Amino acid sequence: MPEISRGENPPSEPSTKNSDKMAETSAGESESTPENQSELFDSSKMRKTKPGIKRLSLTLCVLFSFLLGFPFLLKSVEIYRSPLPFKYMDSLSSVIESEPLLFPCRFQAVFLGFNDELNDADKLGSLIADRMREVVGHDRACGSCRNNFTVSVSLELEKGCVQSENGENGCLWQCGLLKDADVATKWKDDDFVDELLDNALSGGQKCSGSNGKVYSIVVVEKDEEVRAVVGKHRHGWIIGKLSKEEAVERVAEIFVKVFINGGKEEGSIHGEFMPVGADGRVVLSFSLLNADPHDWIYNWDFQRVNEILVTPVVEALAPIANISVESQILYHTPKSFFSHWDDQRGAYIYDSKDLPFFVNSNEWHLDTSTAAGGRSKILHIVVYIPSERECPLLLQLPNGEISMTNGFISPMWGGIIVWNPSGCSGHSGTTTDGRHTIPFKDLENIVEVFMGQLRQLFGLKSEGLYVGSSDRVKLLASERGFSNWELDLLARQHTCFNLQSCATTLGSLSRLVQSLPRMIIKDEIGKQVEYSLQAANFAQSNASVGAYDDSAVLSRQARSLAEDSFFHPSIMSVSYYSFEHCFAVYSPFFLPVALHVLLAAVKEWKRYKQEKSKYLTWKAKEVVS
Amino acid sequence: MNPSMAKPNWILSLLILCCFIFPSVLFATIEEESQKEEFNEELLLKPLPDRKVLAHFHFDSKANFFSYNGGFHLHLFPKAIYQLVHKFHVKEMELSFTQGRWNYERWGGFDPISSSNAKPPGVELWAVFDAPPSQVDALWKNLTHTLSGLFCSSINFLESSTTYSAPDWGFRAYSGSLRYGTLPREAVCTENLTPWLKLLPCRDKAGLAELMDRPSIYRGFYHSQRLHLVSSGFGSNSVDSEIELEQTLTVVLQPSTQRWATSYSTGSAMQPSWSLRTIFGREINKKCILAKSSNVYLQLDRGLVSEMKKKGFRPDFATSDISITNPAFELSPSPEKMIREVDNLNDVESSILYVFVIEKYVDAKPFDLVLTWKLPVAWSCSQAPLLANRFLMGSGNERGAIVISLKSINHHQSLVGTGAYGEKCNLHINVFQVVPWYVKVYYHTLRIYINGQVQPAANVTRKMRVSPSEDKVSPGALELALAFPCSMKSAELSLDFDKGFLHIDEYPPDANQGFDIPSALISFPDFHSSISFAEDSSLSPILSRLKKRSPALAYTEVLLVPLTTPDFSMPYNVITITCTVFALYFGSLLNVLRRRVDEEERRLEERAKRKSGKLRQQLQKLFARVRGRPLEQHPNPSAPSSSKTNSKLIMKVGLMVLIAVVWQYYLR
Repeated sequence: MPEISRGENPPSEPSTKNSDKMAETSAGESESTPENQSELFDSSKMRKTKPGIKRLSLTLCVLFSFLLGFPFLLKSVEIYRSPLPFKYMDSLSSVIESEPLLFPCRFQAVFLGFNDELNDADKLGSLIADRMREVVGHDRACGSCRNNFTVSVSLELEKGCVQSENGENGCLWQCGLLKDADVATKWKDDDFVDELLDNALSGGQKCSGSNGKVYSIVVVEKDEEVRAVVGKHRHGWIIGKLSKEEAVERVAEIFVKVFINGGKEEGSIHGEFMPVGADGRVVLSFSLLNADPHDWIYNWDFQRVNEILVTPVVEALAPIANISVESQILYHTPKSFFSHWDDQRGAYIYDSKDLPFFVNSNEWHLDTSTAAGGRSKILHIVVYIPSERECPLLLQLPNGEISMTNGFISPMWGGIIVWNPSGCSGHSGTTTDGRHTIPFKDLENIVEVFMGQLRQLFGLKSEGLYVGSSDRVKLLASERGFSNWELDLLARQHTCFNLQSCATTLGSLSRLVQSLPRMIIKDEIGKQVEYSLQAANFAQSNASVGAYDDSAVLSRQARSLAEDSFFHPSIMSVSYYSFEHCFAVYSPFFLPVALHVLLAAVKEWKRYKQEKSKYLTWKAKEVVS
Repeated sequence: MNPSMAKPNWILSLLILCCFIFPSVLFATIEEESQKEEFNEELLLKPLPDRKVLAHFHFDSKANFFSYNGGFHLHLFPKAIYQLVHKFHVKEMELSFTQGRWNYERWGGFDPISSSNAKPPGVELWAVFDAPPSQVDALWKNLTHTLSGLFCSSINFLESSTTYSAPDWGFRAYSGSLRYGTLPREAVCTENLTPWLKLLPCRDKAGLAELMDRPSIYRGFYHSQRLHLVSSGFGSNSVDSEIELEQTLTVVLQPSTQRWATSYSTGSAMQPSWSLRTIFGREINKKCILAKSSNVYLQLDRGLVSEMKKKGFRPDFATSDISITNPAFELSPSPEKMIREVDNLNDVESSILYVFVIEKYVDAKPFDLVLTWKLPVAWSCSQAPLLANRFLMGSGNERGAIVISLKSINHHQSLVGTGAYGEKCNLHINVFQVVPWYVKVYYHTLRIYINGQVQPAANVTRKMRVSPSEDKVSPGALELALAFPCSMKSAELSLDFDKGFLHIDEYPPDANQGFDIPSALISFPDFHSSISFAEDSSLSPILSRLKKRSPALAYTEVLLVPLTTPDFSMPYNVITITCTVFALYFGSLLNVLRRRVDEEERRLEERAKRKSGKLRQQLQKLFARVRGRPLEQHPNPSAPSSSKTNSKLIMKVGLMVLIAVVWQYYLR
């Protein structure tokens, strides 16, 4: 800018010092400069009038108005961000990460037919509780009760009934329920005893209300070998010749290892083995694969299977996941490896190292389902019928034996069951075109295997036996696939997993949103976060009072809402209004203008200071003179 | 009790008895076949007059659900389609993927195959929903997304309300909750065929679909893959529901031409001989065991049959064990049977169908159908009464016109008795045209020319429905029912349009290629194409399909409209230049405000006084000129002042001239 340079240059040029004397005086004072004072008055160093502040104030005014206007500009180009409760989100995730949920558990032990030396119920209760604490040790698994349990003891002795103190609300064992004569003879019949105990204990269960469920073990003194059984509901029994210490040891072990931990070593669910989708839904997709329809075509009456065998399971699992069922039959679906013939067994054998190649995703069009929109999970249950060329097809276990179930699971994907047609001679006694229907008896077997697979997919054991340190415990299988105490366990574990997942999702959402200040956050996301936090809080409070099912449902909701908010489509639009874009739009104006304004202000300020010093020197000189 | 009373009593008791018996009988049948699923596959082959071969695959899946209860378990019917119908309440739906354009002139425009399987290029989707009108749009949007996932294509672009329309009567006879959309530019390839084949129980592992060798079918001249489904009983609470899924693949292929021989005696070239192996490169090795019937048909056109009769060849060919021969051609293996078209009007022109039942052949060796021509034959296919074409008129980026031209086929006089309208003989046609919103059609400019003469539209139009386009909301649709006099030789419909401007982010990638106007549909409501054969057509889905009376249809070409495409960096350029101008203005204003004029002038004077060196002076002069300020020289003030006034004068004059020129040429 020529004007600026011209205004600034002269004072700094040494060659023009003398000639500048006149120039530096302002116009107003030029005519009043008398010649006779010229020796005394050096116009490059002093001036007689006060320097004007018109131009300085103008430039400063512009500069400050720019500075003041800047916040308004930023405000006007601001994008809408729904206020998220970052504090709560972070606190939720930190709380859940630091201290896993603690569920209260209530246990009771009933001792029947012991002799009178055993009469202090409170002492026995504390013995069991101490032993249980030892067994629990430092187990930090989420979803267990850890040390948050109460144990009450009832002693039904010959002379009377003794109950421990902490059975405060009277929801405990009522003595004399099993006094009938025929009971004594039927202790061998597990199912009968199970029902009997259920009836006997259900009175106690009722009054427990929502305040947790009571797990019971009945210890019966008898002169026979010791047997331990856990029933389909929330109780077990031990029969046999037992000393007091043995009884305490066993009771404590069953309480901890079976009722709390579900007979597994690892406690909580790992994220990659969670069979429930992020929106709390599971689609069970049953497929019947006819490897080669030219040999035989098998059909099934899935409608009936579904109604009779699958629906109870789906209903039982309702608190943990919203499960829907569908089925299809596919044809021309060979597996993608070759089995080998084993003369000794008279069958085609495949072994565990072939399993990764069993699922032939090129030919098996298992398909996703419109029912499984979004983030829900599909578990494929495949019933594979081998072609005639390789029938029967059997699975050899790593230890050389033939698998009983002839099926296997793939975690998170589902399960495969190989079903060999009877006799592998499809042409005998059939219709002309090789069409058959799988007999219902076989279907029941298949569903039984499926039930085991489903239990495994949900992280439970498939066999009905728990081998502990002291003894083996028989676990009765429920016709619903899952017994009540297992469902409780699943509910606890899923609540815990869901809350953890919800907390980490919300935590990362909060970090993401805070790290990207230019990201648009819609109100919808704010709402989802809010509801998710609410549900998580309710789930926590429900868990602390022991309402397992409710807390499972709420935690599922919390997780699904958290995932919804994190994967909201509008979050993807962040890249379209970046800081770079904003800079590119505004810099062509503000950069050159800012240059002008700043330079002008600086120069005026400099000049003013210079002129002022000149004036002051003149003033000083005048005062001196 | 008198006898007259007794009789009704007896009837009543019988009725009651029936009431008790019948339900049990009914229940028995229901239990027996609570679910009936059926699959049929058929292939129709037809030699075309221009030495090509038409292959029409027809797969038909049917499912009856007597006790529909939500989650259903399927045996043959594809699960994906069932769920789609169930979830989106689809009553009827058709989706077609087409590559190439059906040649109505050569391949026929008036037979069931051309009217139902000749489709516009790209994707065409229409669906009728069994839902209240308020939900239809939402269902359509979800349906497009599902289909796009199912068929690996960009059908989801039909979600936007600017791409689909809701025709009333112009597209199909009944109205209702119908939605129609096309994507003319969708490329069709094997990734669309694979999911389509997945819906078949045998896929391409066995049966007729084995013939679908990807390179051969995509090498063809025309390729249309279609999926049509009709459902009933899903929306209401009725007990039984039914879905019928019809999948067809129509390809026009050129048989390899090695064995061509020109017949010099007649001057016409010999039809190429072909076999399944030569046209598809494959044979049928296995039959699809799940199919109820699996047939191959060879159809000889009416024209071909009559031509052969004219030449004296008898249609009932001499049949031997392995092949049938007649003087014109040879067929091997010999067909199962021959079906003749039942045509009451004229006995001469009736097409012939040879039936090959796959089960009979495949067991021994792969099935291959060989057709060898012995004599040259030339014939032509049956044509629709009018041949429709469409083109654009006008040039430039501002406006243009769409013209639909309809030319009468020479022999259409023979077809005229159909549309008797009043006393005059009339030819009825329906035109359905969807135009995207950025092509702003002025519907009042509709002009109709008959034999080159403008006719008032009111004379010809019977019915008209226009839904004008709304910018960025909906496309325009024109449904027009016209009645032309029979004597007409040609007709043209023209509509003027303006080209609109799109918002910068509405342009598709590669906007310079131009924008497509979807095909117009011309239908002839009085001309029903159907071929009914002597055989009981209920046995074979393709025969019943051929027998079904459907109006003759013709799709016109897709038009390509070039629109003005902006420079897509324009917004930034505009921002930059405006900001620069503002910055310049602002900066200079600021500088003017804080300028000290007299001080500067004084300084300049002094400087000039001081430095009188020649070179310096020259430089200063130059400098001053660059600055646009006249140089003030003190030694001789007279001369420069005159030059100063001169230059000022010249500048003023120049400025005036410039303003005048600008005014003259630009501002007026």
